Amino acid sequence: MRPGDELPPLTVPVTRTLIVAGALASRDYQDVHHDPELAREKGSPDIFMNILTTNGLVGRYLTDHFGPASVLRSLSIRLGAPNYPGDTMVLTGRVEAVDGDTATVRVTGTNGLGAHVTGTARITVGGAS
Amino acid sequence: MNRRTAIVGIGATEFSKDSGRSELRLAVEAVRAALDDAGLVPADVDGLVTFTMDTSPEITVAQAAGIGELSFFSRVHYGGGAACATVQQAALAVASGAAEVVVCYRAFNERSGRRFGSGVQHREPSAEGAALGWVLPFGLLTPASWVAMTAQRYLHTYGLTPEEAFGPVAVTARRYAATNPAAYFHGRPLTLADHAASRWIAEPLRLLDCCQETDGGQALVVTSLDRARDLPRPPAVIAAAAQGAGRGQEQMTGFHTGDLTGLPESAVVARQLWRWTGLTPADIDVGILYDHFTPFVLMQLEEYGFCGGGEAAGFVAADELPLNTHGGQLGEAYLHGMNGIAEGVRQIRGTAVNQVPGAGRALVTAGTGVPTSGLILTADG
Amino acid sequence: MDREEHLTAQLKAFEGRPAATRATGKDPVNLPMIRHWCEAMGDTNPAYTGPDAVAPPTMLQVWTMAGLSGHQGLSGQGRSPHQGLSRHQVRSAAYDDLLALLDAAGCTSVVATDCEQEYLRPLRPGDEVTFDTVIESVSDRKTTKLGTGHFVTTRTDLRVGPDLVGTHRFRILKYAPARTRKTPPRPRPVVNRDNAGFWEGVRRHELLIQRCTGCEVLRHPWLPGCNACGCPDWDTVRASGEGTVYSYVVMHHPPFPAFDPPYAVALVELAEGVRMLGNVVGVPYDKVRIGLPVRAEFRAYDDELTLPVWRVAG
Repeated sequence: MRPGDELPPLTVPVTRTLIVAGALASRDYQDVHHDPELAREKGSPDIFMNILTTNGLVGRYLTDHFGPASVLRSLSIRLGAPNYPGDTMVLTGRVEAVDGDTATVRVTGTNGLGAHVTGTARITVGGAS
Repeated sequence: MNRRTAIVGIGATEFSKDSGRSELRLAVEAVRAALDDAGLVPADVDGLVTFTMDTSPEITVAQAAGIGELSFFSRVHYGGGAACATVQQAALAVASGAAEVVVCYRAFNERSGRRFGSGVQHREPSAEGAALGWVLPFGLLTPASWVAMTAQRYLHTYGLTPEEAFGPVAVTARRYAATNPAAYFHGRPLTLADHAASRWIAEPLRLLDCCQETDGGQALVVTSLDRARDLPRPPAVIAAAAQGAGRGQEQMTGFHTGDLTGLPESAVVARQLWRWTGLTPADIDVGILYDHFTPFVLMQLEEYGFCGGGEAAGFVAADELPLNTHGGQLGEAYLHGMNGIAEGVRQIRGTAVNQVPGAGRALVTAGTGVPTSGLILTADG
Repeated sequence: MDREEHLTAQLKAFEGRPAATRATGKDPVNLPMIRHWCEAMGDTNPAYTGPDAVAPPTMLQVWTMAGLSGHQGLSGQGRSPHQGLSRHQVRSAAYDDLLALLDAAGCTSVVATDCEQEYLRPLRPGDEVTFDTVIESVSDRKTTKLGTGHFVTTRTDLRVGPDLVGTHRFRILKYAPARTRKTPPRPRPVVNRDNAGFWEGVRRHELLIQRCTGCEVLRHPWLPGCNACGCPDWDTVRASGEGTVYSYVVMHHPPFPAFDPPYAVALVELAEGVRMLGNVVGVPYDKVRIGLPVRAEFRAYDDELTLPVWRVAG
């Protein structure tokens, strides 16, 4: 694990099911995450993924790569272009710094509209908590 | 004119997003600062040059800066393409005897006032307005959008992606800006991944391909090389200065002819600068290439002969030429190219924050995609 | 002080005030919710199952969510639930007042923009989470693609018993949707004596190309003389309407109200050799490519404006 290491990309098909399942699993019942008609009334072309789901997917991307013994210490994300149904998000990551057994990783998720999410995580590899 | 005149003073206001004062006041402050830097006083000035786009007339700047009679005043058209041409005008005036000390200036509240990036939606039916009228109804309304059209064809022709082609230009500018306290992005370098993750503005241009819209003023003092040698600062000799417009040249919307892989106006300038100085790209120690948008930096490197067609991204990524060492307009400030000329002067003086050791020859260029201009500045002797 | 400044000052007064105090999560950390989350995320990490299971760290905010049942009579009143803040009886009036102020100012929609979390220790089934939330900042009025509004940033400290287990900073944009504006007309062509013939042709659904009568070279844009030979005389030829995309731009920003970004603008090389600009129809904006064959059509945008558009030949 060295600064500059690139994580293999993860392709996430943004299905309507994923958006709704993610919203429900995060107990987020905002209409814009499940009701297309009300989403349109609020100026959105369709329903879109909630931030908790994006956060969860980024977390999964990191622990999938670093393994079940890795421990996420922090995660900061910023959302850009929304994830609408039918789009595809590709998560990519790059190790920015390494401090002992803890890596700082920059993650980007890009969809057809541009950058959906940019974020930075600190993750301890192979460590107990 | 060549090698008979020099830039002897540079002065600027702070670069900000909201100056809090008038454009005229910014112009006057910059002119005064440049005269102080030159070791001259307002009474020494008999010529002023600015851009046609500038809102502060020469006479008003003179009036407010304590400058007396003027025997030479001139303005250059075509937006940022005017930058180096203001120095050319000054050098021509000094070399011909029309004036002795000429100050070139540009000042605007381009960020807090009228932002070019906010676009154009209406033009009067003059010839200039009609030229833009061919693109406005279709929603191509901003400088970024006009540049993007040529940039897309460039990428297609050379089989490049926007990330690999434009990223290195943005990263290089921000690397230098990070160590320049006057830069907007001081202390904030950038990675290729940051560039690739920045949002689209006008595809294939992203946010980080676009310059930093700025409030501020910059002025430059030009006089004869003989007089320059009596002044406190080492002169930046104007070894050559040139303007250029290509055949069938348009302003920003020049995509109706040509193969859209280069900048014909830059080729016209390059030819003159190399011919008059006898220099070649290999002789240049530092390049200050106008960077309103990253793709046009690549095309300029190719037009000036630093590398072949489609090779500029690799050239920049390999750091083969110190480029926009102040951080450029992407990283320091968008002062319509005038801050780049000041950086060229600092490099020749040996006083730049990111000094290229022993820099003796600087190439400085002006806005492209429009009729443009360029300078080669050298150390004296 | 104008109205906008007055509102901003009122909003700023909320900075530092609590949004929730000693609130309790609706459910203790539990395996079924963890499993539902992992199913949704496609997360098969074995750390989240079995007798020593921990919760995925990114579920942190989930344990604070109010859920569908809402709290204290706020649901069903047309106010959208706000992510990240429990609507428990313990929630302070300050946050409700802040949101009400924004609602009253027309900022009725909400979208989350930032989430910054620190995980101090893993959460395990059975952990009972309590939390305190403070309103960290309220931004000045900002105009975004979605609309105009204010960013509200909150910070939540999560505890189990006395122990701090995680922190969660959350930013939302409360905004007035941009859609309520009527679409203004497109920018007009700039018509003068030199180019009026082209735009008259477009009104008749003809694309007219200027031809120099001296050297026969075709040209566009229209000009009162030929760049190839300098001859001032010209006539026109009617374009076949066939062309290919020579280059294109996809416009995203700034969001001009007359247009609906993202949209593609193509530079079309006509079969006759000249190039013209236009919007592409028949494919989504992200499917426009250099080399696509296109054919001219004419579209009326309003009573006074007809423009050529380019349909992808199918």
